[in-house]
Amino acid sequence: MSVIEWREEFSVGLPEVDHEHQELIAAINRLHGEMGSGASAAEVSDRLGEIESAISAHFALEEKSMVALRYDDYAAHKHDHEQLLDEILDIRDGVLETSQYDPAGLSQALTLWFREHFRTHDTRLHHWLVRRS
Amino acid sequence: MNPRRWLRAPFDALDALCARAFPPAWNPLAQLGALGWFFFWIVAASGVYLYIFFDTGISHTYQSIEGITHGQWWAGGVLRSLHRYASDALVVVVFVHLLRELAHDRLRGNHWFAWITGLPLLLFVYACGISGYWLVWDTLAQYVAITTTRLLDALPIFGEPIARNFLDQASLSDRFFTLMVFIHIAVPLLMLLFMWVHISRHANSRVNPARGLGVTVLVVLVLLSLLHPALSQAPANLDQVPATLGLDWFFLPAYPLVAQWGGAAVLLAIAGVLLLLGVLPWAPPQRSPPAATVSLPNCNGCGRCFADCPFGAINLVARTDGQPYEQQASVNAAQCVSCGLCVGACPTATPARSAGEFVAGIELPWLPLAQLREQVRQSAAGLKGATRVIVFACDHGAACDRLAGADVAVLKLPCVGMLPPPFIDFILTGRLADGVMLAGCDPGDCYHRLGDRWVEQRIAGKRDPWLRGRIPRSRVAVSWIGPVGRSARARELAAFRASLGGLPPMVRGAKGEPAPATRAAPRAWPRPVQWVGQALLLGALALLVGAYATWPSVRQLAPGEAVVQLAFNYAAKPKIACRPLTPEQMMQLKPNMRRPVDCPRERWPVYVELERNGTIIYRGTHAPTGLWNDGPSSALERFVVPQGHQVLVVRLRDSGRQQGFDYERSITVDLVPQQNFVIEFLGGQGFVFR
Repeated sequence: MSVIEWREEFSVGLPEVDHEHQELIAAINRLHGEMGSGASAAEVSDRLGEIESAISAHFALEEKSMVALRYDDYAAHKHDHEQLLDEILDIRDGVLETSQYDPAGLSQALTLWFREHFRTHDTRLHHWLVRRS
Repeated sequence: MNPRRWLRAPFDALDALCARAFPPAWNPLAQLGALGWFFFWIVAASGVYLYIFFDTGISHTYQSIEGITHGQWWAGGVLRSLHRYASDALVVVVFVHLLRELAHDRLRGNHWFAWITGLPLLLFVYACGISGYWLVWDTLAQYVAITTTRLLDALPIFGEPIARNFLDQASLSDRFFTLMVFIHIAVPLLMLLFMWVHISRHANSRVNPARGLGVTVLVVLVLLSLLHPALSQAPANLDQVPATLGLDWFFLPAYPLVAQWGGAAVLLAIAGVLLLLGVLPWAPPQRSPPAATVSLPNCNGCGRCFADCPFGAINLVARTDGQPYEQQASVNAAQCVSCGLCVGACPTATPARSAGEFVAGIELPWLPLAQLREQVRQSAAGLKGATRVIVFACDHGAACDRLAGADVAVLKLPCVGMLPPPFIDFILTGRLADGVMLAGCDPGDCYHRLGDRWVEQRIAGKRDPWLRGRIPRSRVAVSWIGPVGRSARARELAAFRASLGGLPPMVRGAKGEPAPATRAAPRAWPRPVQWVGQALLLGALALLVGAYATWPSVRQLAPGEAVVQLAFNYAAKPKIACRPLTPEQMMQLKPNMRRPVDCPRERWPVYVELERNGTIIYRGTHAPTGLWNDGPSSALERFVVPQGHQVLVVRLRDSGRQQGFDYERSITVDLVPQQNFVIEFLGGQGFVFR
């Protein structure tokens, strides 16, 4: 069961960035499925570690494109990236420390910030790219 | 014992002195190359001004420079002095730079490129300086002209000695001088091109010194120019030989040797030194650790390693593995020094990755991050107490081996910039230790060029990848100390541990404090002492430059001595006289070669001897030049003789005879001290005396 689906409106128009967005959504869905089938806290935290690494790399790539294209709202977008990375690390550390997790809450937190970031920053980037071309 | 160590000790002492006297950003030893560029621009800019007022004709040159020096001492005079002193300072920094890179062994392995491309720069610097001294056309210029041409005549490339252009005042012309003006402008431009090549394999090359340092050095040079202006010596007069000369020992140290050893020996010595410098990068060859490798499944081409590589060894190239990315990182092994700065920059280098195999997008094959993470875990497991510290120690800074103890673990890295910031996060939030210390090498003078800068910026959240904001900076210490500061390092660690003891327990997720904007240099003297130290060190440079630019003098002639020169450029008679050919002989030749007279081209050598007051002081046989021995024979011999009454007899044969002479002439002269008396043999006129 998916907790978040890729939608065409998520596309920012940069093929490699869109590809990674889809991969991240798949990773979150996989984690959601694993949590549903009773994964241990250690397994969940491992999975979160991989997701954090993938998101770091993804943000690095997206930021490279934004800098190269001289995106006008880069600073705010980058700031949001850094906050998201802080949050996912905090979530992971919480799971690791308490050795328990709340599957529904965790899935909701992950999808929420994904959707929110898509809705605001990535959408703005998409519109900017469309206007620019 | 490795001779590099002998060289290293004085540099380490000087490094320690400069680290105390200068703020890290100002340390001149860490920016010798940039200072070289700075001096180059001072020389170029002052040179442009001087050229405006400079008369390029040899008869008015000296006067035009006197006018610049005295007529407008406040502008032209100061700029002329700056032109000279900045050039001398350039020579100083170039040699200190060269020796320091040698002492630090930054020439072997993949460092060879900058070393080798620096060698032609040495020649260019000297060509600029020597041609510059020539242009003043004073007695020093006369000496430079004669000695340089004698040096060049030792090369078998000129048909006749070019020193003949400076035989005496009568043989002087504008032509050679114009060539010098051209060289003095063209060579600096060529040098600029090579300066660019020299640094082309360095990313983020430093071509400007810290602004404050640059301004201070300029002020010191201007003060030197005002207090001790550069002046011309007496005007050149080729009919006299100046007995003593003030010599610029930065540019002309080899020149007095030309009189003693001869041009060929000096040239051989210079070539030998250059050859030695040229082979040093491979003496012995360095066994470089293997270059960084890219793991394509973990690389999306984000370019952070590309941005952080100090040696331009990483390129972003078109994707090769079919993944839907545009680019991937690619390492040029011939330029990689295996410093690991790229590893520290990779966003996938997060030790929290524990679901599968932990491989970052770019790794050092001899120190994989999975292994480093295991080292961290193991050493952390052995630590006890409330102030447990893991020290990541740079291989090139003050040694940290002895710092390890019950609550301190030391892990070595080729550069602290190799440590990805998520490792610090991993250690502190995982409670593996209470503090992390990054123990690097000299501030502003990272062995791998950019490690200190990138580490500071990553921790301050100014360069990706950031140390996350949630990590309290009070639990992270950065210590920049060069190899001689072992005890200073121990003190810094002790201070860090003491401060850790006073901290509240580490709270995950608490907002970390911002990193301090500037870190106090640990070994620096108090400010006023620093100012005095800077004044003394820069003053010493000015003193060195001001003094050795003209002193000590070199003596060409003792009191009461004069010079006799014997010169000719003369084609002797053919060995075989022309003979008419008979019609039969002509018909045997190819149609286009038929001629009535056959004239073999080979000539006799010229034999000459010089007698002074009844004693033969010179005998010489001068072979004809040219591939077929059909060119003129040349001679330019110089004799130092006592002043006073002389009977000179000069004899020459050019016809292959064994006895007697074809030409002979004698003269009785009274030579005055420093006189340049010329005996020249001219075809058609025989011997002439001047």
